[in-house]
Amino acid sequence: MDARVRLGAVGITAVMALAACGGGSTGSGSGDGGGDGKKLIIATDLPLQGASKDASQSTNNAIKLYLKQIGYKAGKYTIELKEYDNSTAAKGAWDDATCAKNAADHVANADEVAVMGTYNSGCAKIIVPVLNADPNGPMLMVSHANTNPGLTKAWDAGEPEKYFPTGKRNYARTVTTDDYQGAAAAQFAQEKLGVKKVYILNDNQTYGQGVGKAFETEAKKLGMTVLGNEPWDAKQTSYASLFTKIKALSPDMVYMAGIYDNNGGQVVKDKVSVLGDNSGVKLMGPDGLTGYPELQKLPQGQGMYLSFGGLPIGQLKAQGGAAAKLLNDYKAEYGTAPAASYALYGVSAVQVILAAIEKSDGTRKGVNDAVFTGDGITIPAEKSAIGAEIKIDPASGDLVAKDVAILVLKDQTETFLQAQPVK
Amino acid sequence: MAATTTPSPVTGPSVKDAAEHARRSNRKWALGLLIAVVVLFLLYWKILPAVGGDTASFFRKWLSVSAASEMVLWVIFALGLNIVVGYAGLLDLGYVAFWAIGGYVAGWFMSPFASEMMNDKSWANLKFNFLGHPPAIQGLDRGIHLNFWLVLPIAGLICAFFGVLIGAPTLRLKSDYLALVTLGFGEIIPQIFRNGERLGPGGNFNLSNGDKGITPVDTIPTWPFSYIPGVPDQLGLRAEDLPFKFLVYCLLAAAIVFLSLRIREGRLGRAWLAIREDELAASMMGVPLMRTKLAAYAVGAFAGGIGGVAFATFVNGIYASRFDFAISIILLAMVVLGGMGNVWGVTVGALVLAWINSTGLEQFGNTFNDAVGTNINFKNYQFLLFGLILVLMMLFRREGLIPETRTKQVLAEPERGELEAVGADLEGEQA
Repeated sequence: MDARVRLGAVGITAVMALAACGGGSTGSGSGDGGGDGKKLIIATDLPLQGASKDASQSTNNAIKLYLKQIGYKAGKYTIELKEYDNSTAAKGAWDDATCAKNAADHVANADEVAVMGTYNSGCAKIIVPVLNADPNGPMLMVSHANTNPGLTKAWDAGEPEKYFPTGKRNYARTVTTDDYQGAAAAQFAQEKLGVKKVYILNDNQTYGQGVGKAFETEAKKLGMTVLGNEPWDAKQTSYASLFTKIKALSPDMVYMAGIYDNNGGQVVKDKVSVLGDNSGVKLMGPDGLTGYPELQKLPQGQGMYLSFGGLPIGQLKAQGGAAAKLLNDYKAEYGTAPAASYALYGVSAVQVILAAIEKSDGTRKGVNDAVFTGDGITIPAEKSAIGAEIKIDPASGDLVAKDVAILVLKDQTETFLQAQPVK
Repeated sequence: MAATTTPSPVTGPSVKDAAEHARRSNRKWALGLLIAVVVLFLLYWKILPAVGGDTASFFRKWLSVSAASEMVLWVIFALGLNIVVGYAGLLDLGYVAFWAIGGYVAGWFMSPFASEMMNDKSWANLKFNFLGHPPAIQGLDRGIHLNFWLVLPIAGLICAFFGVLIGAPTLRLKSDYLALVTLGFGEIIPQIFRNGERLGPGGNFNLSNGDKGITPVDTIPTWPFSYIPGVPDQLGLRAEDLPFKFLVYCLLAAAIVFLSLRIREGRLGRAWLAIREDELAASMMGVPLMRTKLAAYAVGAFAGGIGGVAFATFVNGIYASRFDFAISIILLAMVVLGGMGNVWGVTVGALVLAWINSTGLEQFGNTFNDAVGTNINFKNYQFLLFGLILVLMMLFRREGLIPETRTKQVLAEPERGELEAVGADLEGEQA
């Protein structure tokens, strides 16, 4: 009985007393890069387990490498990196409760001045309001991968105001949003492919619906006929009847707004089997279909057009400059190339944060103000990790430049075709 | 009813002694946990911010206030499942459905989402506020805003209704078959929410906002405690609200503990135990099987609804991707690990597993790697670890960490003898 009382009374505290024995070594193990300035922590907040693990780990690796190269310094401050994981093993993906927990931890850690992340827009929607409500802030967050437009501009009801309870902005990103990608695709289709009638398919998820909606809006504006915007059911085994229906409307192009994981391969196959190969009725898709070797090797995929919000790794390498150097150094350091171009975008987000720290007084509020007041932050093209100038619009936190690359599947690879600046 | 509570005739103490014993033990557990909660609350509220430095960073790593809150939320769900699985012995693999329903009730009744539920925007100007606390952001007072404390029982009752709905067709099923049907429900309901963006004629009705989820959720009002200096009026997103949110979740967990303990003592609880141990014997003794089983589903689901609303305030939203099969399994593991049927055992089991899940394993891994100089990613082995724990438990401590006295007695009974088994076969042939 006594044992029970003890167990209950001390409860959780006992567990931690136990853990305290080892706690000391964790604290002493934190190595800073040396230097005399005040120590500031930048956090990364990424899903380190499950499907996005490789992309996230190479992002962390690239950032570590970059910080080492610049000597862990930003102006007079010494920079330390702290990695947070917003996924759980159980889900193999980002987890809402973990995002909420990380958000509270970012705010509680007084030395932390800014967060690089997140990978998933859904997680950002949980963290941004908490960082925003921080009385010592708002605390800055810069994402390298969130493409959902609602985080920075009017999109769904209440967006983006509902993410900024104090009314001040604290969220920026170094990627182009879904709406621009859809719009760029529509402009490319009209100018270069001469498309007049288009049928849109979406995968019924946030991303696919968003890109599809943006494509539809722009296509109508450009005077194209949108024959339909319909979801495809990822669980179906065949889309032949869907495409037979579409064939009767005789479109010039099918726009496939969604991610490849949602049975995209079957959609592509059935498109070709019913509507013919991609030189006749064109097929085009967003960056949710890029980076899949399976699709690149698919015979029916050849001739398909793809768009990508930014420049792909191959193009960055060919272009030379800071991005190419970073890619080479990465290979020298870790033995392999980064798993996704998001690694470089992660570095670009850190570059924005470092520039903000340099301009600031070292407080959270100061760092955030450096991005959202005055001219904001600009990283010149020769220093930028993504091969193009990064200029953050201080009003919205979005990139000023809206570069979208158009790729075409040729000889089983994604070949860079042209850059499509969004008008 | 006396028959249902008869302890083992040889070793057990008398019924009266046993009851007194249980009551004493309950009091001690309750007092112990209460002290732990108060200590933690004071720590998070006043002590840590004042001390700062290494102590604060130690707690942030090993048991931050949000990690503690999440653990307490898991306790609420595990206790709810314990009523169905631990008390009534009905294996339920789809408990996550109630978590989801509870969450979406919060989404409907305490967020601006209700004004977006018609895709043709015919509800766009819907504004209804009954003691509710929408976030102080322009435009977010649309929709339905009920008081958090009111939404709790509403969600509980809606979940109880669905619990009965799910329970009804499964009444004639046992063990594996029952588990499969509940598994089905646990998959169907989250799928409905995930795809529930365009329902009804013309796809005009938006039940759940699909994959995008519902944000933000209203704050938790603290009236009348807000008159106490230092207590905020509303608990929202600010860092200083978190210790109070932790306290609110502890209060809800305590309510479920109280409910569990009281019902167990009463007529209904004893009927559940009787069904769990021998359904046939129970029905012969006059226990109405249907009503009793449905009550188990309803009460268990009620707790899930309460937890679902609390969880929505924890993440400030409802995301369909949360409600997945693994959640039901983890909850079941908490119940089994802690000790099926024992409220305190399940509480401890839920706290331990939730802690391992959130910060425990990661920090243990960091400490281990630092001490030994290895670079093992412990989190990657989480399921291996869970599996191992469960296998070891089944081998060496089937009754759970803190077992129920009754379970211990049942498990201690000798296996059915050979002759008995033969006799059973003979009976079967005669029939």
